Amino acid sequence: MTAPLAVRATADFLPERVAKVVDLPELAELPADRRQACLDLGIEQVRADPRYDAVELAANAAGKVLAETGARPDALVVIGSRAPERLMSSEATRLQALLGLSDALTFSVGGLGCVSITPALLTARGLLAADPALDQVLVVHGSRPPTPRRYRHPVTVSGDGGQAVLLSRTGPLRVLDMVQATNGDYWDLYTVRFRDLPEGDWREECADPRRYSFQLAVEGRLRLRELYRELLARNGMTTADVNCHLSQNLSAGAFRFTEEVLGVRLAGACAENLVSYGHLGPNDILLNLSTAIAGGELPPGSRAVVVNASPVAAWSLLLVEHVRDDTETHYL
Amino acid sequence: MQTGVEADEVRGQLLEFVSSLVGAEPGLDEDYFERGLFNSLAALELVAFVEHRFGITVAAEDLDLDNFRTVNRLTAFVLGKTAGADASQ
Repeated sequence: MTAPLAVRATADFLPERVAKVVDLPELAELPADRRQACLDLGIEQVRADPRYDAVELAANAAGKVLAETGARPDALVVIGSRAPERLMSSEATRLQALLGLSDALTFSVGGLGCVSITPALLTARGLLAADPALDQVLVVHGSRPPTPRRYRHPVTVSGDGGQAVLLSRTGPLRVLDMVQATNGDYWDLYTVRFRDLPEGDWREECADPRRYSFQLAVEGRLRLRELYRELLARNGMTTADVNCHLSQNLSAGAFRFTEEVLGVRLAGACAENLVSYGHLGPNDILLNLSTAIAGGELPPGSRAVVVNASPVAAWSLLLVEHVRDDTETHYL
Repeated sequence: MQTGVEADEVRGQLLEFVSSLVGAEPGLDEDYFERGLFNSLAALELVAFVEHRFGITVAAEDLDLDNFRTVNRLTAFVLGKTAGADASQ
């Protein structure tokens, strides 16, 4: 049994301004087949609001969760943004200052793309296990695409959004277990060259599309199946013990990929958020969990497996349980 | 488990399946990945077909694109795997 970890509350900040995928300016510079691939992703629109940088998106979400819960977290764990506004300076301590959490133990984690939520949760669990005096950890992330182009061929369209997750040892959503695997052979499969280039020329480039669509896909199949088997086995469970499956939001095709690999059906919350918000990096899975709970797809007493993958390459699965306890205050 | 599979039989089955995936019949030495029509789902379908039809397991160490990029290369891969499976029995 792993050390206790539970989500007390989550809040998402999704800015008002919307960009329709069909109107994305980068579509005009793409050949017809790539343009069509973008339009076939299953994403109609994303939030796109230049008034907020990544730290401000995260701060707005954190402000909501702190106001709703009245919490004063002992630790602030920031999942670093993909393209910080400045080098040398600290996004983590900027957030600490914006939130007025002067006493909170503060630092950043990351490095795994959208899977970076897992090291953040592992860190929170470790802090809570190591220090009995520490009661609450706030994990935050602001998600914006790293370049002016929101379409990453042939993967997804990235939107803007902030998320804050308040964690403790108890709460309405218990994180029963987490598994993670990485393969450094793919560390530079997707890159953005930026030195000596004006920002308008920054692009998310795939070094080898065939390696992405074949080698990484098939390795992902092997890894996800093995992680799924390991996760259930070490918790003494079978698929019959899992009521709900969720993943991150990349595309309708990526949902089918996960469903075929694991032989499961993903909850409707995933497609619902994909169509309206696109990909929000590490924020996808807890947004989907919140939506699934709100929509009755994960009722109290039921469990979910949450799948996350990143082309860096990293794979992660979470096993969570919506606790059957009406005395808990729910902010999920 | 199939045993004693003939190269022509394997090649014919693979050509038929790959043609259905890419929407046209490729040459036996044509790199169908070069056509850019092979997405992640198609890759999964191809590997699943090979495993189920020929009773083999595609392991992590087999994931070299060179094993899969043409019908002739894929035929050689399948024959090598089925020969290995036969020898281990």
